[in-house]
Order: sequence, then structure tokens, then C-alpha cells
Amino acid sequence: MKKGKGMKFVGDSRIVDRPKNTVPKDYSEYPGRTEAFWPNFLLKEWLAGSVFLVGFMILTLAHPSPLEGMADPTTPGYIPLPDWYFLFLYELLKYEFASGPYVILGIIVIPGLAFGSLLLAPFLDKGPGRRPHQRPIAVTMMILSLAAVCWLTYESASHVDWKARAEANKPIPKQDVEIDTSDPGYAVFKDNCMSCHGEDLSGGAAAPSLIGIDKTADEIADIAKNGTGSMPPGVFKGSDKELDQLTKFIVSVNKEAKK
Amino acid sequence: MFQKLYDWIDERIDITPIWRDIADHEVPEHVNPAHHFSAFVYCFGGLTFFVVVIQILSGMFLTMYYVPDIENAWKSVYYLQTQVAHGQIVRGMHHWGASVVIVMLLLHTLRVFFQGAYKKPRELNWIVGVLIFFIMIGLGFTGYLLPWDNKAYFATEVGLNIAGQVPLIGDWLKVLLAGDAQIVGAQTLTRFFAIHVFFLPGALFALLAVHFILIRRQGISGPL
Amino acid sequence: MSDEKQQVTRRQFLNYTLTGVGGFMAAGLLISPLRMAIDPVLQPSKKGDLANVGLAVDDIKDVPTRVDWKIDQVDAWYESEVSQTAWVYKNEKDEIVALSPICTHLGCTVSWEGNDQFPNEFYCPCHGGRYTKDGTNIPGTPPLEPLHQYEQKVKDGMLYLGNPHPRGEA
Repeated sequence: MKKGKGMKFVGDSRIVDRPKNTVPKDYSEYPGRTEAFWPNFLLKEWLAGSVFLVGFMILTLAHPSPLEGMADPTTPGYIPLPDWYFLFLYELLKYEFASGPYVILGIIVIPGLAFGSLLLAPFLDKGPGRRPHQRPIAVTMMILSLAAVCWLTYESASHVDWKARAEANKPIPKQDVEIDTSDPGYAVFKDNCMSCHGEDLSGGAAAPSLIGIDKTADEIADIAKNGTGSMPPGVFKGSDKELDQLTKFIVSVNKEAKK
Repeated sequence: MFQKLYDWIDERIDITPIWRDIADHEVPEHVNPAHHFSAFVYCFGGLTFFVVVIQILSGMFLTMYYVPDIENAWKSVYYLQTQVAHGQIVRGMHHWGASVVIVMLLLHTLRVFFQGAYKKPRELNWIVGVLIFFIMIGLGFTGYLLPWDNKAYFATEVGLNIAGQVPLIGDWLKVLLAGDAQIVGAQTLTRFFAIHVFFLPGALFALLAVHFILIRRQGISGPL
Repeated sequence: MSDEKQQVTRRQFLNYTLTGVGGFMAAGLLISPLRMAIDPVLQPSKKGDLANVGLAVDDIKDVPTRVDWKIDQVDAWYESEVSQTAWVYKNEKDEIVALSPICTHLGCTVSWEGNDQFPNEFYCPCHGGRYTKDGTNIPGTPPLEPLHQYEQKVKDGMLYLGNPHPRGEA
């Protein structure tokens, strides 16, 4: 910028009073096949952005964001699961060398080394060459870490039954069923079923709700003894009299719920 | 009319050079997908920023309904998702945007890495970029709790337990995040809300500004 | 510049002063917010009042029995009643053992002899984690540490339980 005597300013400001010239750069000033950012290149970027946005909105409309039931620390048997981009860390902590007494390795050393070297990559990979084959160590390390992260994520995700999970954790508006905890059947329920089906029979991650089922006492007794679906046989360990009390109790709660 | 208005403003604050620098700079051939289709890899950074804009906008509107209180947080989310017109969509944008932004960020990082674009003189911008990555992860972690559903609650509990296992400062760190030594509850939610909505976005804006200013000053890295 | 002594120039002096005043403003601005933010860390850890679980010591058998009780939990401005569960028994030395039912693997709920194939063991239905009677995790099953133990005391012949702690820290 010019400085010194003879400069004119706008009023008492520091803005230089100059002849107005808002004519953009001439196209001939762009050598070769370069082009102006505005409007030529930005238009292309925004076209790409529009296509991206359409795809994004289709995703949003096709898959409403999930919402599980309201947080309840006493939910029986809930298996915690982080968002997908934390799964690899979560899975890493399941390995023996990264948990228990070696947990420091799993939560500090391994992630610290990985993310630390990512942060400091320009100072670890200092050679002048930019092409991947000119820096084999950096590129190999990156590919190995990527493969490890992908594999850990896959390992973690493949153990999850996503459908059943979403089904079991649907937000259910709280059912206003008075549960008669003085019923002898409730005591039997407490001893045999509560750890999975929950204090108020509303189910949890490990088992469905027992309210709103359309089963007879005999069918319930059969399931209690022999299991069904993912419920193993032999969960019920009481006498026949207790079984009778239990089924009557569950049927009565369901009758109550239908009112 | 507009020209006159523009001239009036420009005379007083001289804005032409500022935007001319952005508008007139040359975009080299090797990043232009119109010339080399493979140059689409240069779009990832811009698309990441685009998703960040989606996140900011949808997040701002979500707070019109959301309450960070354990009694009401879930109810407010449930309400906005089921009762409010387009609430489902706005929450969907924020929910899916959170995942998409991580994907785009990862792709952008990999593009820069495999092209060796972080080498001298662009070391500082790489560091700023990785810091942005960490901020995003932090936003993901704190945002996950806010709907206060079971998934959020139990995942956060695991996350806090992991923080608690850090040697020396673990217990301290856990309490600082959770607001209580034993309970993941009312104070955890308000803390995560504050971090998610004010602290991390503040840091994110500052880092994004540095990221973009450095790109304009240094120019885009040359072809391989 | 005078000789001998190294003099602080006017500009340096003003720079130091500027830093000092800036530091004063930053400190004045941040002290209270920071103190507020770290307040929970500095709270003395609540030892957790031990609660009467409604079980007479004489009634404790040598087979683990499920005990449920309620405690009042104060979470800042939010007070609630939460239910707690323990597996309680007397071991060979006639000591009372109160184990937390929270599986140390992923926090599911374990139960005593929860599976017929594994008598005399705690069993977690989520991933088949198993523990011996004293809460020790069985190697080869997913859990990596023993079941936590409740703080406990006996008063007037009744059992009182507090918070669960990892074994060895109780």
C-alpha cells in the first residue's frame, strides 16, 4: 500500500480515498486452465453441494433419527453401546491386553500414540517427497491403523443384533398399570423373572415387556419352563404351585392393563 | 440502487479488497473436477464445512424446544420429534449430520495425508485440522447424551468410567465431566449441554477461522 | 541507553504493564467461573449413608439371597428414590458378604445360579459371564474383575449397606 504525503483519506478515517474500481480481473489473466473462484469454481462446488444435500436429506427422511426410552439407570440388563465412531475404542478395551490391569495401555498408550502421531505427522514424516511411494513408513502406518480401526469397528458392530436392540428399546409411553406387589405371584416373579423382565414387568434390553401379551396361563407356564426365542429353558426354578401363582399374576396384570 | 448502496458502504469502509481477494483468486487446474474427475477428492473439505453449517443451523433450531434437564430432556426431544411439524426432520439432520461430518472429515484427512499435503510449509494447518477433528469427536460424545434416552445414558456412563480410569487425574476428570462423583444425572446433563453448545463450538469457530485463513495465505498444495 | 545497568526501555516497561493488566482482567473474569466449574471436584466425597436394607443378620443364610431396598438419592437439585439390589450371604467364616449384582463386564444384572448348567455360581445372561460364590470372576468368561462389594455394617442386629466398591477398596 502506498504511504506518505499526498494520500487522501475518507473523512478522518484510515480508509484511503481511491478512485472506485470494482471491475473484476480479466479472464485472460488466468493462465492455463485455472479459473476464477467466484463465480466459476464456486458454482461447480455448489452444484456438487446440492447433489450432496439431496442425498443427505433423503437419508434423513428415510431414516428418522432413533430415540430410545427415557434414561432409566435401573433398566435391567441394558447393554451399553457408544456411537459408531467410538466402537473401535470400545472394542479395543475388550481385549485382555488392553483392559483389567493393562487398562492404561487401552485408554492412554494405544490411543495416545495413534492420535499423537496423527497430530504430529508433519514432524514425523519430514522427507521432501509427497508421493505415497516416497514415504513408505508413514503410508504403511496409516494403512495399518486404518485397517485396525475398521476391523475393530466391524468386530464390535457384528456382535450387535441391531434390529432386536431397536425393537426392545422403543420408547413406550409409560403404562399406568398398578402392579399388586403383595400378590404371591409377584414374589415368584421377583425371584425368577425380574432380572430380565424388569421391576414393573416392562422389559429391558435382555427381554421384552410382559405387559400387553395375549397369552393364556398355560402358554405362559410353558414359556417360563421351556423358554422361547432367546430365552433359554429352565429359567423358572420354582415349584408347580409357584408357577401357578406366577402365571395367574401375569395374566391378571395384563387384564388390568387392558381396562 | 444496490450499486449506490454498495458504493456508499465501500467509500466508508473499503470492503472491495477484502472480498475481491476471495473472489478473484485463481483455482488451479489440478483441483478442478471439470478438468480431472479424480479431483473430486478436493471436495471433501468443503463438504465437511457444509455439514458443519447444517449442524450449526439445525442445532440452533433444536434448542428452541430442547431443555437440558433430566426430567424434561427426553420429553422435550420426544415432543419435538412426534408433535412438532418437521421436528423429526430437523433432529434427523442433526443426528445424521453428526455421523456424516465424521465421515467427510475422515475422507478429507485421508486425502491430505496420502497426498502428503501437510508437508512444509503446511504443518501448522495440519495441526489445526487434527485439533478440529478432536473437537468434532468431543461434540459427538457430548451430543450423544443430550436426548437422555437409555442409549445415551449407558454409553455416557461407560465413557465416564473410561475417563475415571486415567491414572492420577482420572477421578478428578470424571467428576469434572459428570458433576458428581457417583451419579450420572442432573449435573452431568447440564455440563454436557454447556460443553456441546458453547465451549466446543466456540473453539471450533476459532480453529475453523485459522484453518481457512491459512489456506488463503498459503494457497492450495500443488499437484503431486 | 545508559551504560552499566541494563535498563528497561519505555516500550518494554509498557509491555510488561500491559501483560500484567491483561492478566489481572483475565483472572478477575475467570476466577469465579472456574471455581464454579470445578466445585464438584472439591466437594468432600459423600461417604454415602449406609441404609437399613430390612434384613436381620440372623436371617442371612449361607446361600446368596437377593435383597432389595430403596435409598434417597440427592442429585444436586433433583431428589429421587432409587432401588438397590444386593446378593447377601454368610461365608464359611461367618462373615456377611454383600455383592453388587452389576456384571463387571458391561453392567448387566447377574443372578445366583442364574443358569442350571452352572450351579453354585453367579451367572450373567448377557454374555455368559460367571463368578464364583465370593464374586471372583471365572477366567475365560467375559468379566475382567470380581463383583463389587457393598460397604456394610451391622447395627441392632440389622444389616446396613452403603455404596458398592471394587473388591479390595471396600
